[in-house]
Amino acid sequence: MERLQNTSRKTLKDFIPQQVLKFSKLLWRQKSLVFLALPPVIMVFLFRYLPMYGILIAFKDYKPLRGVWGSPWETPLFENFIRFFNYVDFKRLIFNTVKVGIVSLFFTYPAPIIFALLLNELRFKKFKRVVQTISYLPHFISVVVIVGMLNNFGSLGGLFNQIRGIFGLEAVNMNSGDKYFLLMYVGSAVWQGVGWGAIIYLAALANVDPTLYDVANIDGANRWHKIWNINLPSILPTTTVILILNAGNILSQDYTKILLMQNDTNRSLIDVISTFVYRVGIAQGEFEYATAVNLFVSVINFFLVFITNKIVQRLNPENSLW
Amino acid sequence: MSSVAKRKAKNEIHIGSHVFDVMLVIFMILFSVVMIYPLVNVIAISLSSSAMISSGKVTWFPKEITFTGYEIVFGQSTIWIAYLNTVKYAVTYAVVSLFMTSLLAYTLLIPEFVLRKPLTIYLLITMFFSGGTVPTYLVVRNLGLMNTMWALVLPGAVSAYNVFVYRAFFRGLSIEIREAAKIDGAGDATILFRIYMPLSKALYATFGLFAIVGMWNSYFSALLYIKDEAKQPIQNVLRSILFSSGAMGGTFDGVNQLVQSGKLNPKNVQYATIFATVAPVVMIYPFLQKYFAQGVQVGSVKG
Repeated sequence: MERLQNTSRKTLKDFIPQQVLKFSKLLWRQKSLVFLALPPVIMVFLFRYLPMYGILIAFKDYKPLRGVWGSPWETPLFENFIRFFNYVDFKRLIFNTVKVGIVSLFFTYPAPIIFALLLNELRFKKFKRVVQTISYLPHFISVVVIVGMLNNFGSLGGLFNQIRGIFGLEAVNMNSGDKYFLLMYVGSAVWQGVGWGAIIYLAALANVDPTLYDVANIDGANRWHKIWNINLPSILPTTTVILILNAGNILSQDYTKILLMQNDTNRSLIDVISTFVYRVGIAQGEFEYATAVNLFVSVINFFLVFITNKIVQRLNPENSLW
Repeated sequence: MSSVAKRKAKNEIHIGSHVFDVMLVIFMILFSVVMIYPLVNVIAISLSSSAMISSGKVTWFPKEITFTGYEIVFGQSTIWIAYLNTVKYAVTYAVVSLFMTSLLAYTLLIPEFVLRKPLTIYLLITMFFSGGTVPTYLVVRNLGLMNTMWALVLPGAVSAYNVFVYRAFFRGLSIEIREAAKIDGAGDATILFRIYMPLSKALYATFGLFAIVGMWNSYFSALLYIKDEAKQPIQNVLRSILFSSGAMGGTFDGVNQLVQSGKLNPKNVQYATIFATVAPVVMIYPFLQKYFAQGVQVGSVKG
């Protein structure tokens, strides 16, 4: 075997730079590691990198038989994007997407923070643990079940209408039209996420140095002072990171949920970009058009993260992502 | 004067603090009720008589108990086939995901591995850029995975985030173990399979449970990739019962006749199916609960 290597090195020596040779020798020596890494690396290539390459069809007139590269370019190149900007419901689609994103963020972001701060104030440890355990449970309920429950609770005679009855409001079918969509979408998101989202903050709160409280007690601080001056600052870095990440997702709603909440009375009214992408792309098979729309959203999302991070940098440089 | 005033002030703080405590406990009890009530209500309705459901009087407990809904749901093969499919998908997904992620995490652990840096960057890129639904769908279709279990299992099996979490966990097992095993002549595969994997039970319990629950609860990939009626997982069966009118009669025999004769409320069947979908998750919830605290800790280990 050594002799084989020697001969091959002699012939290739002039063509291959020394570093490459050294590198491939090392690689050969570590072949067991390469072999171990190969299967997952191939999977990542197939299911993460090939789709990225597939984004190219946004600029192509995609012909499945000719593949991504073989399909002809669109003329003009941005044809699919122009088509989207000229889409009749373009304005409503954008408005809906932004509205749902901002309202969701406005409620789902602070809810776990407030819950964590309150739960941290509970003095009875056992009770605290029970409440916390209960609060996670909705996180594990599937979206099909959630929307199934929403549909039933919002129907005439359902739970939500029973509650409306207590306050003297008349019963309405909350699933029809778009009037109650946002309330139910955001409400169920808070219900599912409040306990789960609080975990990360509770972990940060558990790491607060106890001597800080002793010092605060000596200074005569009350509960409110301690929450405001010790607990809140201690979770601030975490809250900032979560905010930046959430801001990046403001245009990507939980489309699996909205798809289920859509019915014949509200489909176009509550459409957001991601449900539109599914309907046009998968259900109607207009792959290149849907890919273009999705790319448009991804680019905006990226800028949103960038802008949020810039703002955070300005306000509090230590907490920014980069 | 000052000492009396001070004591008074201190008492006020204490009283204020106690009032706060009491209000907090009341709030948390209400909060827990809000968290649990919808699920209890679903179970209560699934067990109640048609007339009681229509009157809207069912709250915490079933009224005029009937098991007709459950007899229909569990008495026919549909739900059992769906269970079987889902268990198969979920377990395969968990095994593939744990195994593949471990392979990559282990190799990225080793400082002298020449591909360590390039592969780390290779993974990091996938955290910031993705192809999106449609291009992924096209890849799966072109690979010929449509209508097979692998369309559900493979695309999400290796995620960069999980690889980094696994690596952080492996790092906690100390690199000396590896050095010692190396000296004894063990190869990398042996070290990973015989030493690292058995030592990582907590990691696998956490991520295995999450993978299983995640697959159990997902409907969207099956909506995209599984066309065969007989291969549908449980969430998709539930979806057709809940969301397409008339599908219930097609899914379960004899439902329409029972509904027409007033013996059965469609909600009995719908809610019993919801129960059938949620119950397994609730049953493994205590284990999830036990392990995911560790999982969160593992995740917070500096990667």
